[in-house]
Amino acid sequence: MPDLRALPALADRTPLVSHGIRLSPLPEGTVLQMIVGPDAPDQTANVERLANESGLAARPLSPGQWLLIGDKPTRRADMKHLLAALEPQASGIDQSHGRVRMRLEGPMAVKVLAKGTAVDLNQRAFPPGRSVATLIGHIAAHLTRHDVEDFEIAVLRGLAEACWIDLAGMCEEFV
Amino acid sequence: MASLVPCPHCGSRPKEEFTIKGAALARPAPDADPDSWFHYVYLRENPRGAYEEYWHHTAGCRRWLIVCRDTVTHQVNTSQDAAAAKGQAA
Amino acid sequence: MTSYRLPQGGLIDRGHPLSFTFDGKALQGVQGDSLASALLANGRRLVGRSFKYHRPRGILTSGAAEPNALMTIGSSGRTEPNTRATMQELYAGLEARSQNRWPSLAFDIGALNSLASPFLGAGFYYKTFMWPAPFWEKVYEPFIRKAAGLGRATHEADPDSYDKCWAHCDLLVVGSGPAGLAAALTAGRAGARVIVADEHAMAGGSLLSETAIIGGTPASAFAEACATELRSLPNVTLLTRTTVFGWYDGNVFGAVERVQRHIATLSPSRPVERLWRIVAKGTILATGAEERPLVFGGNDIPGVMMAGAMRTYLNRYAVAPGRTTAIFTANDSGYQLAADLEARGVRVSAIVDPRAAGGATYAGKARVLRDAVVTDAHGGRSLAAIDIRSGSRTDRLKVDALAMSGGFSPVVHLACHRGGRPVWSDEKAGFLPPANFGGLTPAGAARGIDGLAACLDDGARRGANLVATFGFTATPVAFGTVEGDVPVSAPAKTLWSIPGGKGKAFVDYQNDVHRKDLDLAVKEGYGHVELAKRYTTGGMATDQGKLSNVNAIGLLAEARGLSPGAVGTTTFRPFYTPVSFGALAGAHHGEHFQPVRRSPLHGWAARHGAVFVETGLWYRSAWFPRTGEKDWRESVAREVVNVRRNAGLCDVSMLGKIEICGPDAAEFLNRVYCNAFLKLPIGKARYGLMLREDGMIYDDGTTSRLEENRFLMTTTTAYAAGAMNHLEFCAQALWPDLDVRLASVTDQWAQMAIAGPKSRKILQAIIDEDIGDAAFPYLAAHEVSLFGGALHGRLFRISFSGELAYELAIPAAYGDSVAEALMATGRTEGLMPYGVEALSVLRIEKGHVTHNEINGTVVPADLGFGKMVSLAKPDFIGKAMLQREGLAAPDRPRLVGVVPLDPADTFRTGAHILAKNAAATLENDQGYVTSSAHSPHVGSTIGLALVKRGDERHGEEVVVWNGLNGEFTSARLCPPVFFDPSNEKLHA
Repeated sequence: MPDLRALPALADRTPLVSHGIRLSPLPEGTVLQMIVGPDAPDQTANVERLANESGLAARPLSPGQWLLIGDKPTRRADMKHLLAALEPQASGIDQSHGRVRMRLEGPMAVKVLAKGTAVDLNQRAFPPGRSVATLIGHIAAHLTRHDVEDFEIAVLRGLAEACWIDLAGMCEEFV
Repeated sequence: MASLVPCPHCGSRPKEEFTIKGAALARPAPDADPDSWFHYVYLRENPRGAYEEYWHHTAGCRRWLIVCRDTVTHQVNTSQDAAAAKGQAA
Repeated sequence: MTSYRLPQGGLIDRGHPLSFTFDGKALQGVQGDSLASALLANGRRLVGRSFKYHRPRGILTSGAAEPNALMTIGSSGRTEPNTRATMQELYAGLEARSQNRWPSLAFDIGALNSLASPFLGAGFYYKTFMWPAPFWEKVYEPFIRKAAGLGRATHEADPDSYDKCWAHCDLLVVGSGPAGLAAALTAGRAGARVIVADEHAMAGGSLLSETAIIGGTPASAFAEACATELRSLPNVTLLTRTTVFGWYDGNVFGAVERVQRHIATLSPSRPVERLWRIVAKGTILATGAEERPLVFGGNDIPGVMMAGAMRTYLNRYAVAPGRTTAIFTANDSGYQLAADLEARGVRVSAIVDPRAAGGATYAGKARVLRDAVVTDAHGGRSLAAIDIRSGSRTDRLKVDALAMSGGFSPVVHLACHRGGRPVWSDEKAGFLPPANFGGLTPAGAARGIDGLAACLDDGARRGANLVATFGFTATPVAFGTVEGDVPVSAPAKTLWSIPGGKGKAFVDYQNDVHRKDLDLAVKEGYGHVELAKRYTTGGMATDQGKLSNVNAIGLLAEARGLSPGAVGTTTFRPFYTPVSFGALAGAHHGEHFQPVRRSPLHGWAARHGAVFVETGLWYRSAWFPRTGEKDWRESVAREVVNVRRNAGLCDVSMLGKIEICGPDAAEFLNRVYCNAFLKLPIGKARYGLMLREDGMIYDDGTTSRLEENRFLMTTTTAYAAGAMNHLEFCAQALWPDLDVRLASVTDQWAQMAIAGPKSRKILQAIIDEDIGDAAFPYLAAHEVSLFGGALHGRLFRISFSGELAYELAIPAAYGDSVAEALMATGRTEGLMPYGVEALSVLRIEKGHVTHNEINGTVVPADLGFGKMVSLAKPDFIGKAMLQREGLAAPDRPRLVGVVPLDPADTFRTGAHILAKNAAATLENDQGYVTSSAHSPHVGSTIGLALVKRGDERHGEEVVVWNGLNGEFTSARLCPPVFFDPSNEKLHA
């Protein structure tokens, strides 16, 4: 039996830390993409409930779509159970390895992000708890605001390193 | 340099987040006559004024939209989800 | 050299001297100087040579419109040509060089052009250099480029960084003069999100040059107090050194902030410039007005200056314009200047006013000559005297400085960037911005308001009104009484040019366009404003006619007997002032130019020595060289042979992977593929062809049914993003009634192809289930368990190489471990990594097509897939158009193989096919080679080609013609499958 090791996409990256800004990789836990069929009634409550039961956070991705996100990997049996529970109104697609998350926080976080995204980052327009899908520079990203100065960014695994390099560049004047 | 396209799901976003497909024409029935198909595939109006186009919010919600844009002023008059628009037309 | 710095006053810090150089000579200025004011303080009048005639030129303005004082700043990679000395803040160690002179500024050989000036008039390019044609490239253009021109860009890389960002606000205020500050304070106090942008280092605009008292506070201190309050408001952002250069669709404004263009020692972590894209609900255009020159003989001699600029140098920078000054003014602003000059002890010998009754309130010592004009200025590199005509009499007056003011033109540029046209006003004698064009509200002098108090009031009111429409309750800010506010009052008559002068009277300084050039343009039929611009070059280059355009329009109007409104303006376009490429590119250069997409097996490939090749954003492993291999061909051949003999492992993670779920998933696939998919069994993969609506093939790949309502589609790497967009279009826009759910899972899986006769044995060592041919036949597709259940993946028995082959998909993070485990277990079986080059050879040997063949002009039958098309289906994308007569024409190019007659011969992809003995002409073209490679299996070059009736011509001798290299290769057409045509290996 060989040494089976999950190799994080940002394995080589150590957090970038200063008074103004902190950029750090988040654990590669669980990312479940959930897609509701076009004719299904509003599933928001259902999604919240399922996410709660599974210890995941539900974040809107698109009309009728959510990302269910958690810091820990979901066991295979639990994932199968969760996928089955979604059907038939919705389907789940395991993206736990397909998306990589990072965290950007600190007083300069808004200034850094404004270099990449055209989303209005004013608290009234984009309050904590809200998620948006947007371009950050040249990379499509899913952006969640946890708190006023605390953001989470999820991107395709293949672009995680490129996104990190871009964000690190955007942070440079505040490091 | 920069310009914004309204997405009914995401709000105003820069055009770089979108992919444009062209005229929002209704697809003919599979057994429609060859002329209808010829028009659908090849012929395009080039209006001065309002023009309906398919835009895909590729880097956002990934929904296809029907955006009605004025070709003279670039003013976007309406922007709606293509599936919803098709539902209304049906 | 004598200092022109006044002993006191000005917004400068005399205690903070700054050394700088101009054309290598060391000079000194002080903190707060612009490069222009520092040069003037040092008595440097001659600062450049003109574009065509190489005339001596001096500083004309104190702002963005400066046409003359263009300098090259900095050195090596930081060289910045065409920098306006009026906009460049002085810093310690600044290096400035004049431009367009040789061998030196004072002695310039090009000045001989002045003697040849009849030859260089309007349209001279078109008239003079017409013949002979080859001379254009070899003689005329190099000559013109050398003789006429601006600064030169450096070829060295710019070492600095640039940045871009977005900003959002309720109200954008462009300009921080009286109207701008009043609007910003009004909106800011009401709680609106406000951004104020001003191109200068300090907020205040004209207030910084003003001597009036506002509510008891001197104007410049008032400006500072306003700026301090704006900075203290959390909802307001005040951006100085920031030029708003363009207005774009969706109410986005482009602005460039010069973050570190005024600093001696740059901070390497900060950008030198930042490009802002500002999204504003509403905008106050408070850009003020540009003073117009007067067009008289010699109006370009150094020492002649705009009256407002002279006032700025005097009041803000404490620089005297000369020892003896005259003022030529067609409005009352000149009298204010006279009063300020006299208050500072500078002698004003005459005020020349073409009006009968100007300057009624002036009480100074200068002689006032009414109904008089300056016809000529005299001097070489500096002004010496002026001719004043009053009635029939002309007198010469010795002066070393002359201020001029022909009136004021509102700065309307931004308001006209989206198609709006400025409107001529006889009353204001200028073009006004189009009225409220799309949410942009002009205020103050930008809309022709005259006088400081009136501009403050207008800004406050208009700011309040605008933010009220966004739901804010705003009270226009009142600032108290303004003392010393002298409204300029519109001139009694507009004076487009002064007749009777002898010298050249310049309209456009930067392009050396003088009055007679415009006369000539009209005479020769180029009187239309757009034609005149091209014919005379007036209004072109870096200043885009900021000073000159309105005068040029006035002159055209006079010559054509029209009103300026009827002549109209040329089209205003971004950029207002030049913007560096660096700012527009921002951080997107070098490793940030485009994102790199990394396969989860990138590390594995690198460890095994892969040479990578860019494929779109991906870096794919191309081949894996080994010690002793002399070139890539040798490595590729070894990898190919090893796959055929033993087994190889190739990273195919970048193939597009799309999960298609939902109750209508099968029906959906049946409609997007031209072949049938409804009955694909669970656990099976099928090759699918996707067409476009015009019937041509769009993309191909395999689709596997994992569950009843869950499919996995693969696409080619290049079309992965496009195919996903296409499927979403079909699902959302064409058939929203189908319940189908699409998700790209390309990045979820590390996918490896394991191909070759020993692939099963190697895989079986790590896979728990039986993958023998009976249990896991060709096209089987299942989830599998690995390493005794430690991991799960998906296994597909599909083959691109024609060998017994599998593709194994592993959750991406585990891909690296699994690939290494396979390498370890497979070592004894001869497993080697192989790259896309070998993959390509293998597929050409097997006759598998890629986008080389699927080139947008082929239908399924062209590639031998005719029988796959299921015309029995009621509908699929491309069905209707596929049945057109021409697409079934017998002489269409169809897929065929091609081999050289002599195995030692070779040919290239892209070469054309000719019938044997046919001449190499377009008419004889039979088709072309779409793919070619050296095949170790065949022992020669092999190719796939699209050739007319290709499938009927197997065995025919042809010629492969490479027209670029003049190569002709005798070859034979053959079946497109060079390896294992009976698929025995595949099904082994």
